[in-house]
Amino acid sequence: MSRRVPLARRALFQDRRRAALAAGGVAAALLLVLMLQGIFDGAMGQVTAYLRSSPADVIVSQRDVRTMHMSVSALAPETVAGVQQVDGVAWAEGIRYTTTFLVAADGRQQLSYVIGYDPATGRGGPRRLSSGRVPGRGEIIVEEIAARRLGVRAGDSIGLLGGSYRISGLFRGGTTITNSVAFIGTEDFAARAGNSLAYVLVGAKSGVGSGELARRVADALPADTVQSKERFAAEEASLVKDMSADVMRIMSTIGLLIALAVIGLTLFSLTLAKLREHAVVKALGGRTRYLAAVVLAQAAWSVVLAVALAAVLAVAMAAAVGRVNPAIAVVITPASVLRTGVAALLIGAVGAVVPLRRVVAVDPASAFRRAS
Amino acid sequence: MSPVSVRQLTKTYGQGELAVAAVRHVDLDIAAGEVVLIMGPSGSGKTTLLLMLGAMLRPTSGSITVDGVDLAAAAERDLPPLRARHFGFIFQDFNLLSALDVVENVEVACNLAGVTGRAANERATALLTRLGLGARLRFRPDQISGGEKQRVAVARALANDPPVILADEPTANLDSAHGHEIARLLRQIATEDGRSVVIVSHDQRLKEIADRVLWLEDGEFRQLAAMATDPVCGMAVETGDGPHQELDGRTFWFCSTHCRDEFRAMPGRFTRGGENAHSITGG
Repeated sequence: MSRRVPLARRALFQDRRRAALAAGGVAAALLLVLMLQGIFDGAMGQVTAYLRSSPADVIVSQRDVRTMHMSVSALAPETVAGVQQVDGVAWAEGIRYTTTFLVAADGRQQLSYVIGYDPATGRGGPRRLSSGRVPGRGEIIVEEIAARRLGVRAGDSIGLLGGSYRISGLFRGGTTITNSVAFIGTEDFAARAGNSLAYVLVGAKSGVGSGELARRVADALPADTVQSKERFAAEEASLVKDMSADVMRIMSTIGLLIALAVIGLTLFSLTLAKLREHAVVKALGGRTRYLAAVVLAQAAWSVVLAVALAAVLAVAMAAAVGRVNPAIAVVITPASVLRTGVAALLIGAVGAVVPLRRVVAVDPASAFRRAS
Repeated sequence: MSPVSVRQLTKTYGQGELAVAAVRHVDLDIAAGEVVLIMGPSGSGKTTLLLMLGAMLRPTSGSITVDGVDLAAAAERDLPPLRARHFGFIFQDFNLLSALDVVENVEVACNLAGVTGRAANERATALLTRLGLGARLRFRPDQISGGEKQRVAVARALANDPPVILADEPTANLDSAHGHEIARLLRQIATEDGRSVVIVSHDQRLKEIADRVLWLEDGEFRQLAAMATDPVCGMAVETGDGPHQELDGRTFWFCSTHCRDEFRAMPGRFTRGGENAHSITGG
């Protein structure tokens, strides 16, 4: 298509201050939406960090228990043996699990999931330690951010379940604003919180898919809940989402409404300021659809600029937040930028409705009226 | 056949007792290369007539034929392309698009007629160069003078090579020198390009370049022989029963007793202008 005079762009950027204010205003509103989404995505990543790093392909839990978050699961002790007999199972390992407080010597506390696992296999523990070694008897490994909050480091002691544990190592991932994860050996866990098996992690033999393995284990253990790791993580994410969805929806709606107001006002004021020129264009032979395309192009330009600006600001703010408070993970994903961009384009189209009505109603004859 | 042919053109606003006829049963033929100047008092229907000629206002009755196309019968959706291809418009306030530079202002008119890209740019550049604006192509409207703005508007009017140019008070916002310049340009456009030029104006200077001067009053064309110019305010006035004054064997006609009294107080101030001070010449 041959080049046409870019009337929409020229008119939009003729007053650069107005264009900057418009793009900035919309970007600020979209930034709110992106940051909320980023906080949500970050929290989701933290909540599912243990699961995502686990070598398990399938997870067995008590009947109707589908998550670790906000759940208590108790399995029969023979469950591990039962799972090991299923065709396609490479290994099965039970973990213990409870929620309690880690207490530092100075009294500082950190709410934490505590997982009892077998340090010899390491399958139920963190995939990698950032420092130190796996826990022996009377030892614990703690998440780095939680350790920082508690003011402790490897070698220090913390209180847990009525006993004192020496920190043998640290790992990364899993601490949220409110919660963390810590690991102790199975025997210590049994000594302090009972020997009740909470979940069984199951590894598949080579060539067996997690879905197929989950089906086989479920057939063998009809009284328990069996899920692939992916399904389990999705349930976990869904739980967190359900807990925060309404707040997210309300805040995002507010953000998008602010964006709508800014886009609408910008386009409306621009259209009003250019009504006479629109009349001139009509008088010169411009069809209404040409001017409508001008208004829509201005909306699109405003939105695209604002989305780009908001995305850059969101990434910068996410990095800044992570530096100030590592427990708050803000993750700005291309998908959330795309989603916000699409929503903003729709908002831009809605914001263009009133200006479009004005443009449609412009009488070309008004170009002949004297300018006031 | 004339490029522009108007028959029994009437425009009435309102209905019943409130109906006001802005233009009544006007007949007009304009030849190619002809400059027609339409004058008349404010509210006489000049602009209404111009709007109907330019396919921007539907007549109540009658026909307007431009290059064989009856504008009054054309479908609404066909009017924008008709305007783009058959007419060039020149406005009193120039009406350039402030966000575009000089060459883009002309290019955009080409775009509206379907000419885009390099072709539009070359045409706009050639027209502007012809009108002496070759050094102003990338200037914005707020960076050029009033006379230059009106020349850009003339170039824009010529962008799609239309057979008819419609100009509404083209010299009203210009000083004397620039006014003359635009007047000469309009004459040149008619003579050299063979376009029909219709000018609506109060500017007496434009009579010099017009082939015909028509006087519109109360929506009808009147005989120019019965018209004179008020030497005080410059308005065209009817001769007959109105305020007038005899002086040195000549009769001066006025729009009001106020103007006549001002004339009586100091006649020398208003008669120094010469022989044209008291009459309109028709083409």
